Amino acid sequence: MSKYIPTIGVEVHVELKTNTKIFSNSINGYGEMANSLTNVIDLGYPGTLPTLNKEVLNLAIKAATVLNCKIRREMHFDRKNYFYPDNPKNYQITQSRTPIGYDGYVEVEVNGVKKKIEIEEMHIEEDTCKSTHRGTKTLLDFNRAGVPLIEIVTKPCMNSGEEAKAYLEKLRELLFYTDVSDCKIEEGSMRADANVSIRKNESDPFGTKAEIKNIGSITNVAISINKEIERQTKIYDSGETFKPQTRRYDDKLGDTVLMRVKETGNDYRYFPEPDIPFVYVTDEMIENVVKTIPMLPDERRKVYVEKGVSEVNANKLVQNRALSDYFNELLNENTNLKIASNLLLGDISGYLNKNEKTITETTLTKERFLELINRMEDNTLTSKNLKDILDKILEETVSIEEIIKTSGIENITDDSAIRDVVKSVIAENPGSVEDYKAGHDRAIKYLMGQVMKASKGSANPKIAMDILVEELQ
Amino acid sequence: MDDRLSKEEVLHVAELARIAISESELEKYQIQLKQIMDSVDKIKEVEVDDDQMLIANWSAPTKLREDVEGKMLSPKEVINNAPRHSGNYIEVPVVIGEEA
Repeated sequence: MSKYIPTIGVEVHVELKTNTKIFSNSINGYGEMANSLTNVIDLGYPGTLPTLNKEVLNLAIKAATVLNCKIRREMHFDRKNYFYPDNPKNYQITQSRTPIGYDGYVEVEVNGVKKKIEIEEMHIEEDTCKSTHRGTKTLLDFNRAGVPLIEIVTKPCMNSGEEAKAYLEKLRELLFYTDVSDCKIEEGSMRADANVSIRKNESDPFGTKAEIKNIGSITNVAISINKEIERQTKIYDSGETFKPQTRRYDDKLGDTVLMRVKETGNDYRYFPEPDIPFVYVTDEMIENVVKTIPMLPDERRKVYVEKGVSEVNANKLVQNRALSDYFNELLNENTNLKIASNLLLGDISGYLNKNEKTITETTLTKERFLELINRMEDNTLTSKNLKDILDKILEETVSIEEIIKTSGIENITDDSAIRDVVKSVIAENPGSVEDYKAGHDRAIKYLMGQVMKASKGSANPKIAMDILVEELQ
Repeated sequence: MDDRLSKEEVLHVAELARIAISESELEKYQIQLKQIMDSVDKIKEVEVDDDQMLIANWSAPTKLREDVEGKMLSPKEVINNAPRHSGNYIEVPVVIGEEA
């Protein structure tokens, strides 16, 4: 791209999907009335003491496991001291010296090239309250204060916006599939910052760093990083330099803008949190957590393709966890998974989107779905006829056979008979078939005539035509 | 050894604590803070090979809490304890850009 080598590191904050907060038993929720999900601990009242939520530890162990991190067995928390209204204790409880996870990686693929994105460390901390700036006032909502977070920090090991994007997509997929977090960037339950610098040669020290804060979407991560690389390139090209700084991505501008220049390094005066004694992670805790990890996205894609599903469909299934979980139930059944994936991603997805339902909210039990797949496979139900009875299949509980019988769709059950006639006509008229394939339209009319003749006019012409075209493919 | 911190050091600490100090206070704190630091240095002379000692004087593990919700405050109780509020929000003077 240019004569400079970009270096990118990414820090991601993820809110954990627990019932309650990290150090108090008030509810961990989103979208509720301001200051309705708090207690004296979240508000930092004097004399209160934090107690670590067991589930936070479990989810952090789970995240560390799927991010291939080593898990620390003995750890403590630290106080990060700073004065700002989003944290009335004047310190955030975090893990500075003993992060629960370290030395991990996730594997991504960009333009066909696989790369391991190395994770430096992953630690547990508390979220701060949400502040909204209105003119000369700042409004504080403590519902978010004390929501459990994990912060995942990569090594400066990425070289493009696209790599950072691929990493974030992979991270989101893993944490979403393992129920560590709902990873909703728009609701702030996943937040990404990127550190960007450029240098001429691998042997040079890293260039001056710009930090891009709180990027609102994964797509914008790639855009903002590439824009920042461009900006730094221009500065160095014109012989200038710049100071370390914090920038943010402006969606409307499509570019990063300066927030502040960092004259001095941060001075958080970390020291160990004396209110929380040591935390020990035992083998038993890890074993119990590992048991709850479902089949991961990459594994799912691999298995689906092995079982005959196209790569495109395998990817689409994994992008929709509800469908993928449903599909997994079929993996050990003796059925046609290719047809199953086509049905789920085609007509059934269409129905689900239109009716704003998930697959488990329909009446399509595994048994009924297997029956449907069989019907499609032996052509006793065509795609066209399926459309007519799909609503019934997904809303009623009777067997597929019963629906076909009572739906009043004529000729449905005759499809196999028509298909037999069509097949024999095709077999008997190889010359016309060749003509058709060479692009002679009249040939199909001749073949159609033969089908009607052979069926003594009893075949539904429209269905017969569909089957004929299908069989000629 | 100096008997005081430099003015810059004290001003830096004041800045971190977001407090304004007068010239006379500055001089006083240069000496007082230095005395505190010296006391801390004394403590640092104690030999500890066990890192744990720095955090807690017992090695019992922290007690973990079950993830079960308990009693919360109402928004009214929350704002009643704040100097100012706007609706259910606690209101403070605007400060931008210094989040952690």
